[in-house]
Amino acid sequence: MNMMPPKELEVAKMILETLNLEDITPDDIDPKAPLFRDGLGLDSIDALELSLGIQKEYGIKLKANDDNITQIFSSLRALTSYITKNSQ
Amino acid sequence: MTQKWHNLSERGSPFALRLILWIALHLGRTIARAVLFPITLYFLLLAKPQRLASRHYLSRALKRPPTLKDIARHIHCFASTILDRVFLLADQSDCLDVHIHNADLILDRVAQKEGCILLGSHLGSFEVLRVLAVSHHKLPLKILMYPEHNQHITQIFSALNPEVADTVIALGRMETLLEVGEYISQGYIVGMLGDRVVGDERSTSCEFMGEQTPFPVGPMLLASTLKAPVILFFGLYRGGNRYDIHFELLSDKITVDRKNRAEELQLHTQQYANRLEHYTHMTPYNWFNFYDFWNDQDKID
Repeated sequence: MNMMPPKELEVAKMILETLNLEDITPDDIDPKAPLFRDGLGLDSIDALELSLGIQKEYGIKLKANDDNITQIFSSLRALTSYITKNSQ
Repeated sequence: MTQKWHNLSERGSPFALRLILWIALHLGRTIARAVLFPITLYFLLLAKPQRLASRHYLSRALKRPPTLKDIARHIHCFASTILDRVFLLADQSDCLDVHIHNADLILDRVAQKEGCILLGSHLGSFEVLRVLAVSHHKLPLKILMYPEHNQHITQIFSALNPEVADTVIALGRMETLLEVGEYISQGYIVGMLGDRVVGDERSTSCEFMGEQTPFPVGPMLLASTLKAPVILFFGLYRGGNRYDIHFELLSDKITVDRKNRAEELQLHTQQYANRLEHYTHMTPYNWFNFYDFWNDQDKID
């Protein structure tokens, strides 16, 4: 699992730091698994905190009525790709 | 066990609901209130889980074993507020005598476009505030709630007043609280109820009515994340046509230290529980959690 691309690893660390998930390491996150509910088990409060974290870290403002909001938060890989595309 | 209230099927057929609605709107509040007596009797005799829940609750609130008359009064109080929702939504609230205490807490913030969290409960009626705020005063208000509950009644009430129905932010979606954050930053008042733990929602144990009771931590967590003020709200039915709306400032800004997050969230939630208990003692028949709130059933089993 050390094969995680650097950007993905960075976003994984940001998620864990933002949500204060001390007992999880980036290696525990399956990049393709859902972040919410079934996968990491995050809830709506986590989504809010995560969006504020993304805004602080990358200057990207996520909006609840973005059509693809569910897609953006669907996995670590999807979130990383969204951040990469929008942070330049 | 905490989802019991969600599983209680709605009693009363759509036809009966429409009949009562017709009576209320065409024959007026006095006659419609007369119909509440047979309705109360019907629930008293046939709605066993609600009757048991009422009995368990009242024995705590009244500090004595409740009589059948106490339980009937409890159901009647609930039915009265449901009926009054019709008059409120149909813009016939002139028949009600509503007293508002500490309205400035809300109005000052609206004037300054400062968003806040309005934290209520199932003690009394939220509708009395929602309608007055939205229809009469055009205040920027949104209410966070589960949309599916009580479907027939929701449909009827939505049809009565689509503007008020439109204030709902549906809970249960991943992006729900992102939406709340956006509204608060635009200066909206966002109302929510803080007394029921639903499903696997995060909760904390608070001393309430003499017992450790789970309460959701969501509202305080949300307030601390958004750095939004929390104002408590109680819309109490005082019998006859009288309502008292009380606002209280819980905190201008909830700050939670990350290291002691659980403990600090518990303290803020306990403050809410304390005020809820205060108003519950003041108006015991306004308690509208007709389900096994303290998990009494589990203790008996």
